[in-house]
Amino acid sequence: MVQNLQNNEIQPKKLLLLAILAGRTMLKNGAETYRAEDTIERICKSRKGIQHADAFVTPTGIFASLEYNGEMITYFIRVKSSKIDLNIISLVNEFSRQFVNSNMSIDEGLKRLKHINKINNYKTITRSLFGSLACAFFSLLFGGTLMDFISSYMVSLIVLILINKLTEYKITFFLNKFIGAALASILSILSVRLGIGKNMDTIIIASIMSLVPGVAITNAMRDTISGDFLSGLSRTLEAIFSALAIAFGVGVVLNMYFKGVIR
Amino acid sequence: MMLKQMIFAFISSMGFAILYSIPKDSILRSGFVGAMGWMVYYKFSHILNDNIISTFFAAVTVGVLGELFARYYKKPATIFMIPGIIPLVPGAGMYYTMLSLVEKDFNMAANKGTEAFFVAAAISIGLIISTTLSRSIKRVKNKG
Repeated sequence: MVQNLQNNEIQPKKLLLLAILAGRTMLKNGAETYRAEDTIERICKSRKGIQHADAFVTPTGIFASLEYNGEMITYFIRVKSSKIDLNIISLVNEFSRQFVNSNMSIDEGLKRLKHINKINNYKTITRSLFGSLACAFFSLLFGGTLMDFISSYMVSLIVLILINKLTEYKITFFLNKFIGAALASILSILSVRLGIGKNMDTIIIASIMSLVPGVAITNAMRDTISGDFLSGLSRTLEAIFSALAIAFGVGVVLNMYFKGVIR
Repeated sequence: MMLKQMIFAFISSMGFAILYSIPKDSILRSGFVGAMGWMVYYKFSHILNDNIISTFFAAVTVGVLGELFARYYKKPATIFMIPGIIPLVPGAGMYYTMLSLVEKDFNMAANKGTEAFFVAAAISIGLIISTTLSRSIKRVKNKG
C-alpha cells in the first residue's frame, strides 16, 4: 500500500511514455496516424484514475497529454519514419489490445514493446529476393516474355539491394528513389543491349514497381477520410514527390540514352 | 489467359507483401486480395477499354476485401490492402509520360500524364469509398 502511494506520481508518467512509445513504433513502421492516435488514447484511458487523455499525431511528431489528479502531463516526441514493416504494426496493435484488456504492469508492457521493436520478420535478403520476384511477375502481367522475366528479376534485385544499402545511410527518400529509378533504367537498357531482355519498356516498368509510393497513397487516403487532413496532405505530398523522383530518374537516363550518351 | 493473369497477380502480390514484411500468416490472404483486384482490373479493362474506371473498380474491390479480412482476422486493414494496391499504381503511365517527354512528343506526354494522374485519383477514390462504407457499417452496427 505504501509502495502504491509512493508510485502515485511516477505511474501516470510511465503510462504516457508507454503509450507514446507504442504510437511511435507504429508510426515509424508506416502506420496511419489515426491508428497511432487511437492506440495512444486507448492505452492511456485503460488505467484507473486517468481523467482525460488526448493525442495529436502527425507523420513527423507525436504530442500526447493526460490528466491525473488534476495535473496535466504532456510529452512530445519527434518521429523520423524510415522503413515500412507491416508486421510490427500488427504486433503493436495486438499488444495494445492485450494491454487494455488485461492487468499487465507498465514495466512488463515497456519490456514487450522493446522486444517487438527488435523483431525482424524476414531477413533483408529474403525481402529483396521476393520483392524482385513480384516485379518479375509484374513484367509477365504486362505481356513480357520469359527473357524479360529473367532480366527484370535481375534488375530489380540489384535495385532493391542498393536501395536497402542507401536506406541504411539515411539518404532522403527523394534521392533514394531517384537513384533507384535511374539504376533500374540503366540496367534495363544494358540487359536489352546484352540480348538478355527483349522489351525495354516492360523491363523498366516492372523494375520501378518496387519503388512506387503505394503505401503513401493508401495511408494518405485513409488519413484524409478519418479527418486527419494534415497527415493526409503531407502523405499525399510524399506520394507526389516519390512519383516525381521516379519519373526524373527514368527520364534522365532515357534522355541520355536517346542522345547517344549511353550506348 | 485469365487463369494465367490471376496466378501471376497472385504471386506478384505475395512478393510485394513480403517486401513490405507483412505477418507470415497473412501472406496468402493478401495475395488473394491482390489477385482479385487485378482480376477485376483485367476484366473491366477488356469490357470497357478504359484504364481509369477499371482501376477504380479494382481499388474498390481491394479496399472492400481488405476491410473484410481486417475485421475477420483482427489485423490492421493496410496489411491486406497495400500488396493489392501496388500493382494498380500507374508505374507504366509514369514511364510512358517520361518517354514521350524525352522524345519531345508533348501531346502524347500530356495524354499519358493526365491518364496516369487520373488512375492515381481513381485508386484514391476507390479506397475512400470502400473505407467509408466499412466505417459507416461499423457505426450502424455499434448503435444497434
